[in-house]
Amino acid sequence: MLSQSEKLIEKKRLLNLPVLERPMTVRLKFRKVGKLQYISHLDLRRTFNRVIVRACLPVWYTKGFNPHAKLVFSTPLSVGAQSVYEFLDIRIDRQMDCREIMDRLNRELTDELYILDTYLPTSDFSEITWASYDIEICSKGLKEESVGEIRRTLTESPLLLSKKTKSGEKEIDIIPMIHSLKVSYDSMSNTVKLSAVLKATTGEYLNPELLITGLKQNNQILQGDPTEEWYTILRTAVMKDDFSLFI
Amino acid sequence: MNKNISSILKTVSKPGRYSGGEYGQIIKNKEDVKLRFAFCFPDTYEIGMSNLGVRILYGVLNEEKDVWCERVYDPWMDMQQKMREHGLPLCACESGDPLTDFHIVAFTLQYEMSYTNVLNMLDLAGIPLRSEERGDEFPLIVGGGPCAYNPEPVADFFDLFNIGEGEEMLPELCRLYIQMKEEGRYSKAEYLHEAARTIPGIYVPSLYQVTYHEDGTVRAYTPIYDDIPTKITKRIIKDMDRAYFPDKVVMPYIETVHDRVMLEVFRGCIRGCRFCQAGIIYRPVREKSPDVLNEQAKCLFEFTGYDEISLTSLSISDYTHLEELTDQLLEWTDENMVSLSLPSLRVDSFTKELMDKIATVRSSSLTFAPEAGTQRLRDVINKNVREEDLLRAVNVAFEAGKNTVKLYFMSGLPTETYEDIAGIAELASHVIDAYYRCPSRNKAKKPQVTISVSCFIPKPFTPFQWEAQDTLESLAEKQEFLGSKITDRKIRYTHHDAKVSRIEAVLARGDRRLAPALELACREGFMFDAWDECFDYDRWISVMERTGVDPAFYANRQYGLDEVLPWDIIDCGVSKDFLRRERDRAYAGNTTPNCREHCSGCGANKLGGEQTCCPKAKN
Repeated sequence: MLSQSEKLIEKKRLLNLPVLERPMTVRLKFRKVGKLQYISHLDLRRTFNRVIVRACLPVWYTKGFNPHAKLVFSTPLSVGAQSVYEFLDIRIDRQMDCREIMDRLNRELTDELYILDTYLPTSDFSEITWASYDIEICSKGLKEESVGEIRRTLTESPLLLSKKTKSGEKEIDIIPMIHSLKVSYDSMSNTVKLSAVLKATTGEYLNPELLITGLKQNNQILQGDPTEEWYTILRTAVMKDDFSLFI
Repeated sequence: MNKNISSILKTVSKPGRYSGGEYGQIIKNKEDVKLRFAFCFPDTYEIGMSNLGVRILYGVLNEEKDVWCERVYDPWMDMQQKMREHGLPLCACESGDPLTDFHIVAFTLQYEMSYTNVLNMLDLAGIPLRSEERGDEFPLIVGGGPCAYNPEPVADFFDLFNIGEGEEMLPELCRLYIQMKEEGRYSKAEYLHEAARTIPGIYVPSLYQVTYHEDGTVRAYTPIYDDIPTKITKRIIKDMDRAYFPDKVVMPYIETVHDRVMLEVFRGCIRGCRFCQAGIIYRPVREKSPDVLNEQAKCLFEFTGYDEISLTSLSISDYTHLEELTDQLLEWTDENMVSLSLPSLRVDSFTKELMDKIATVRSSSLTFAPEAGTQRLRDVINKNVREEDLLRAVNVAFEAGKNTVKLYFMSGLPTETYEDIAGIAELASHVIDAYYRCPSRNKAKKPQVTISVSCFIPKPFTPFQWEAQDTLESLAEKQEFLGSKITDRKIRYTHHDAKVSRIEAVLARGDRRLAPALELACREGFMFDAWDECFDYDRWISVMERTGVDPAFYANRQYGLDEVLPWDIIDCGVSKDFLRRERDRAYAGNTTPNCREHCSGCGANKLGGEQTCCPKAKN
């Protein structure tokens, strides 16, 4: 037989929580890894909308024709990239402490999409200027010398790549948007590891995928059987313009 | 061993369809289960994930501790190309294991145009297409769903079919499989015989020999064993209140076609429109109680967090407790920002009270299905809807500020004349007139009426099952004629491709001799034939020509009333006599009252059922 409608009863209880004078913003730091890397930003938003309802959070709804919860994400992640450093700001209109918000959400999530921290924000997403990434490439023909070749491709301006913009395809030089780059080779796994800090403002955003595109074009990598050659992209942090961690 | 497909997923469209990992998916340890079941939906993930039947059966099967049921969808063309290029077989969502690792691979047959996808999926999985080519080492291939009511065109490819509702039948199939394996007496041949003999509703096509007359019609179906049924009677779930209900569902991350809670209110339909297969094969009507439905809706809302609940059933306004149910739901849906939606509204039941309750803010359009343009033809098809009903219904909508209405029609119906076609255009302009006559209309907006016209397809187990489909030429002429009748730019006119409907008619009324054509179609790479961008009529005709199939024999021929029909091997509960009586009434222009007004003795009450309007069967 069906379980009692626990959540609806719970919701009724939550309706009696002390009402806040003004809606309060709560910041969620989360990771999006593994299979979830294939979920687009739009689908992620849809998913969070439902997760918030499932978690019975006292979210504030817009007062309008079509009431909806206000969700504000930090710099979007492209499909195929993972991250352990994502943010979502939500607004609540009743008192609930951050720990409880996190616990409630995580009960409705899987390991691959998981809340890491919850707190009241003191910064604004517009302050995000840089994003750091770990990129791993496994491809035939990689060797110790590849490190130098890869570094050369990604540091010698110009590296012109076509980028889709609102006004069609555009050739851009991506080198000025790469702040720093570390390259290393691991002979045990035959992988090259890159650590890069890339521009990540709304106006100037370098998609880490473009680094791969550049390497494919210039370094003859990832040209073989795609079931044996692969690469991963992991966003490890986002930073302010002085390279301090954005929190 | 699963290959690393991450590089491939990064290059295909919507990779979220293939990555799995959804919240709510069921993971079991494959070492701990005795039977692995792959439930395949032969179309894309977005369509398959929206299917309520799959959700139910996925839950039912996974209730069995020693069975693990996983989902499989048909990869889109770009993904298939990569898979074939790199030798990657079709895999299940949960484990990522290839279909050949499974014991039972089941396909739900929701529409005929998905048959090529079924074969294509088998091929992609490296499983031989024909049942006779598959030995004990291959999984059993099982079919079910509405198209299994005439399974003959695909009979050679399946080992067995489930006829009717699967909630009890599928677990029984699994139990028998496990039992025979444990007793060490499993072989495919033994199992098929045992299933046909002991489990009601199971049709094993290879155990029935079909002979044909010289003119190509069926002579007889002969069982090859004495102890299996000569006719397979469909299974139903008698008490819907006690039927299995999935209180957990797999939550897709990507957008699917029906991204909402689907609440099945009842099965069957009291109406009996004479072209409608669903209205016959799901009989008898069996309702759920409002209290049960309300609890189930709450439960699903809590698990999913969806913001919309759709009450799904064939003609939802015929539910006897609709008001009670919507009132109960509205007690908690409003405050939780959940809206209600009711698809399939009949114009004669559409009232202001009802409209106020359903999702009105999100869409400004309403859809009705008068199906035919004149009262004469609506009586022939037993639609039991009058023009006044339609105009009253649209008036309710216009008064509430709506300005767009969508109307569904069918062309090529039996007895149809050009007057009936012209009637479609006239009806549409009467709706426009109604808008301007409505004093409280939204004066800032112009009315917009969309008429969408599909082609009549004679379907098995309908009073029109014997009818010939209009020829392509005739359908095209009618479509053009209707176009010429529509001069008002406030009326938008769309129609279905008659060519697709013709192939669908062939597959719907076909017999086993279609197998070579389908097999050749698969070899030549046919897939996604339900998708406009993939369907190619000339290639279909070519495939049929080369395999000796005459499409006109199946689509455009008037089947004899005394002819043995390919689907006569199946008993859907409704008698052939009833269908024949209904056909006579159609030609006489007489309507038949709905089941609740008066029982017309269709015969489905012999199947039993709780909360039904059928009289108890005598026996």
